Amino acid sequence: MTLALPDETTSKQAADASAARDRAAWFIDRAPFLVACTMLVALVAVYGSLREGVFTLDELNLDSAAAMTLLLAATGQTIVLLRGGIDLSIGGMISLGTVLAATQFGDNPLQVAACSVAIALLGLLVGACNGFLISVLRLQPFLVTLATWSILSGAALMILPTDGGHLPDGWMAFGSDSLLGLSSSVWLLLLLMLFWVWFRATRLGIAIRATGSNERSAELSGVSIFRINIATYGLSGLFAALAALYLTTQTGTGSPTIGKDYILPSVAAAVIGGISLFGGRGGLIGTIIGAFILTIIGNLVFVLSISSYWQPIVSGVILLVAVLASSLAEKSARRSLS
Amino acid sequence: MSRVLARHRAILLAYLGMIVLLVITSFFSEGFLAGSHLRTMVMLSAFIGIVALGQTFVIIGGGIDLSVPWVLNCAAVLVTLMANGSDGPLLYAIPIALAGGALVGAINGFGIALFGVPPIIMTLAVNVILQGGILVYTGGAPTASAPPLIQYLAVGRIGPVPVIVILWMLLAVLATLLLSKSAFGRYLYAQGTSATVAEFSGVPTLRVTVLAYTLSGLTAALAGILLTGYTAQAYLGMGDPYLFTSIAAVAIGGASILGGSGHYIGTIAGALVLTILTGLLPALNLSNGALLIVYGVVILVTVSLASEALSDFFSIIARSIGRKRDA
Amino acid sequence: MDLIEATGITKRYGGITALSDANFRASAGEVHALLGENGAGKSTFIQILAGIVRPNGGTLNLNGSTFRPGNAREAQAAGISAVFQELSLVPDLTVAENIWFRREPLSAVGMVRKDRERQATLDLFERYRIPAPSPDREVRRLTLAERQIVEIAKGLSRAPSVLILDEATSALPPRETDWLLGLATQLAEEGMLVIYISHRLAEVRQIAQRITVFRNGATVATHDTSAVDDDTIIADMLGRRMDRLYPERISTATDRVALRLRGLSVGSRLADIDLELKEGEVMGVAGLQGHGQRELFQSLFGISRARGEIELWGKPSTIRSPRDALIGRDGIALVPEDRRSHGLLLTKSVRENLTLSVIPRFTRFGLLSKGRERALVDEMLRTLQIKAGTPDQLAGTLSGGNQQKVIFGKMLLTQSRILLLYDPTRGIDVGTKGEIFRLMRDLAAKGYAILFYSSDLPEIVNVADRVAVLRNGRLAATLSGDEISEHRILREAMFEARAA
Repeated sequence: MTLALPDETTSKQAADASAARDRAAWFIDRAPFLVACTMLVALVAVYGSLREGVFTLDELNLDSAAAMTLLLAATGQTIVLLRGGIDLSIGGMISLGTVLAATQFGDNPLQVAACSVAIALLGLLVGACNGFLISVLRLQPFLVTLATWSILSGAALMILPTDGGHLPDGWMAFGSDSLLGLSSSVWLLLLLMLFWVWFRATRLGIAIRATGSNERSAELSGVSIFRINIATYGLSGLFAALAALYLTTQTGTGSPTIGKDYILPSVAAAVIGGISLFGGRGGLIGTIIGAFILTIIGNLVFVLSISSYWQPIVSGVILLVAVLASSLAEKSARRSLS
Repeated sequence: MSRVLARHRAILLAYLGMIVLLVITSFFSEGFLAGSHLRTMVMLSAFIGIVALGQTFVIIGGGIDLSVPWVLNCAAVLVTLMANGSDGPLLYAIPIALAGGALVGAINGFGIALFGVPPIIMTLAVNVILQGGILVYTGGAPTASAPPLIQYLAVGRIGPVPVIVILWMLLAVLATLLLSKSAFGRYLYAQGTSATVAEFSGVPTLRVTVLAYTLSGLTAALAGILLTGYTAQAYLGMGDPYLFTSIAAVAIGGASILGGSGHYIGTIAGALVLTILTGLLPALNLSNGALLIVYGVVILVTVSLASEALSDFFSIIARSIGRKRDA
Repeated sequence: MDLIEATGITKRYGGITALSDANFRASAGEVHALLGENGAGKSTFIQILAGIVRPNGGTLNLNGSTFRPGNAREAQAAGISAVFQELSLVPDLTVAENIWFRREPLSAVGMVRKDRERQATLDLFERYRIPAPSPDREVRRLTLAERQIVEIAKGLSRAPSVLILDEATSALPPRETDWLLGLATQLAEEGMLVIYISHRLAEVRQIAQRITVFRNGATVATHDTSAVDDDTIIADMLGRRMDRLYPERISTATDRVALRLRGLSVGSRLADIDLELKEGEVMGVAGLQGHGQRELFQSLFGISRARGEIELWGKPSTIRSPRDALIGRDGIALVPEDRRSHGLLLTKSVRENLTLSVIPRFTRFGLLSKGRERALVDEMLRTLQIKAGTPDQLAGTLSGGNQQKVIFGKMLLTQSRILLLYDPTRGIDVGTKGEIFRLMRDLAAKGYAILFYSSDLPEIVNVADRVAVLRNGRLAATLSGDEISEHRILREAMFEARAA
């Protein structure tokens, strides 16, 4: 073993090669996100060319308001996807949240506040139950949340069989409030970004990402999978409840079936934004871009005054294009690596 | 023998649950076990069972097919539109609709196996595109009524046995044969257990994946055609319940949603359980909302009973109680 | 006083007894080797020390007082740090994030202080002269060897008083192996207890003061290294005097070329390989870690895309996927590097695993013939002496050695006469190793052509008829006969690097 001497030439070459590989790797990792950014820019450009006043604060305010419910739901979904799971129950939680708000709020501001907090806590609790079932019974998240989705939807239907209920006027005004020219939804958007910058650097945020990346390794390193699941799905439930509350400021009614319209788009927004369904990779900024892409498609269909039935088609195609493009980008980038 | 029992514990549990449900239901509702009522239930199960057939194959292979609702719906709309109430055009309408379903399934399979798109995303996108497509095509209006032949296939009888049940049983035999006696079945289980090992072992993974999704598209389309015979016409949204029920039937039937295990025999029990539940609730005077709650609870209970974690869980509890006593 | 004192430790999993009577004493300041065949109970024992597994009986003392860790964290708090074969690194976190995972330095609002984390990592590398990759690289981009080193760094970062190294060198290239052996000695001199588990006797001899041997869940003996010879140790491990580990090397190569490569290249990792593998020949492939061995094997099996020409038995062929390789008698079969995630369906039966690649052999019109499948399975179970209760036993419940035999059986059933064996003895007990080497020679005598890579150089030296040495993805030399020696192979593997 006397031959095993350190050798500067090779180690320098190796370092250069690995630095080049790391640079390529940086692009591979961000390919899905970059594709999403490109798509958003392209969509906004098309939208802007078709309509006056797209590049104004008003438009930003409107689009943020339109995207916010989806975005809140997708924030929870993003956290769950990063952990390597999926949460279908947010559909049920959103329905239940709007129904509870519409039936329990009354007109007393104190009661409204108390009920809002209670709904948010209910979301947290329901999500924690998902996490509990997934860990303790070692069941697949897809199945557990499919079941709780059904249960929550059922509960919503029992409380309020059809759309209706009553929400105080002040509550609905929240959606149109503005400060410094920015609407409440834009402020919420900024708040959400701030939350993410903080959350992803906390121990919990890192542990969630790590668990999604490799559960066994994380566990060997001292992560309690049980606690991570409770936290992950609890947060998802909480964000679903917040989405429900925000939704009622826009629609002004409780709707026992509206939640299902957010399940798959929440996954789509995250995936378009570059979150890997296999866990561990991606971030909320991508999801925000994904949510805005989906929202602007809606605007485009409206501006082009074609049948609104085209909207699902275009969203579906965009989703496929995003996933295909990122998978192809990854492939070609990987080829350039070797 | 006990080994066989242990291996098929989940399937046995599904049938046991079905029998328990039947007994409970017959307590609450007189005439529930009457021949005519049972017949209706088996007929209704057949629709779920046929959609869930393809879903079973896809899930065993480690995937999931979220495109069944609108594949089903598209086939139903296409056939009724083409036939326009008479039997003659069915000669080409049915093959076209079935081929369309198979084609959509094959596209799903190619997207997943060739381009590495996650199954959830691929089939979800296809579902949404089909939904939009058929909405644009029909303008959102209800469509023509089902021709007599399809109505016969869906609700007619040969002696006491509904035609659709005979059809279902034939398909069940075929599915069972494919899963347990064919090379395709063996490959499917291998791939669902580990796609990498399957690839390294020379399993024709592309072919297997495409075939599984094609089968799913085919059975969804078939169910759609038959369903128009039951409801007498095609309408938009008729497939929506089948997303949930097809997956639930497979899960209740003991398959792991992660792939590699499960059997169509179990799925049949799953379809029956779901239908009995639907029948149970009106008998108990419960609303639609309650049905959804019961659905959810039943899924949770059956999959947890089948999950080995539950027995582990009880043994852990027993042990920790024992340990406390020691201390 | 002994730092660790374990007496009569027992551990049962269901009906299986993993440890029946484990006794172990080790004191601070020594490197203490733990030896035994796979399944002898070493892993269970160190998992007990590390708090991952709780024993059913016996007493365990640490520093003279009773030690009963409830989980890994408690054991770590007591100063025991274990570096396992099963790596505990998270692929999507960076090197620094992994080392300090769950112990990150936090700011006032609970955010991780990246700068401090990074500095702590650099300090750690400096302190132990760890040849580690940059702290900012993501672990999934690292080679197996680099990950192993990061894993060791993570173990050291807890400043333990007991460091357990489980097969830590099995993934390391020579230079890093030397570093680790030196480090173990140094740590012991500084007063740490290093418990060292390895299948490589030479390494153990080099650093360990004492050796404890486990067999069938019980301690057989503890020796002073200087006072015991290899044969005694192996006899302790096996319970009998071992036949020769390496079978006699009688070359059975013919003139017929089974596999001919011309200008085979894979990206920039493997370049211009010209090679001829003869019928009846065992050819070793050697080289430092990451110099193209993996790419060579992967490209021949259709997992990596390659340029260049491949001829099988004189006929040009294109191999784009494993299916192109597994084409029966004229094809190529592979024993993959990672048997648990590439070789076996752990939750399926031995029978299904054995026949997975050869389903067409017992299929007619798409339907399986269970009888003919059974015949194939029984033949393999017999030939390879696979110890499975029934063919329906799940592959995941077999011992490592038997799992590897199932993979060999699976490969042999394909009837391919060109075999690629990528590190087939890694982490496998001595007994099965010997069987595998004898099997390789028997197959060669029957006309099979075998390409063989091992991370344990002496295996290549003792088994191969010829050795192809790779350096920077190129064929540096082909050695045969007396040229084959560890010294010569290492020189060829490193020559250019030193001259440059």
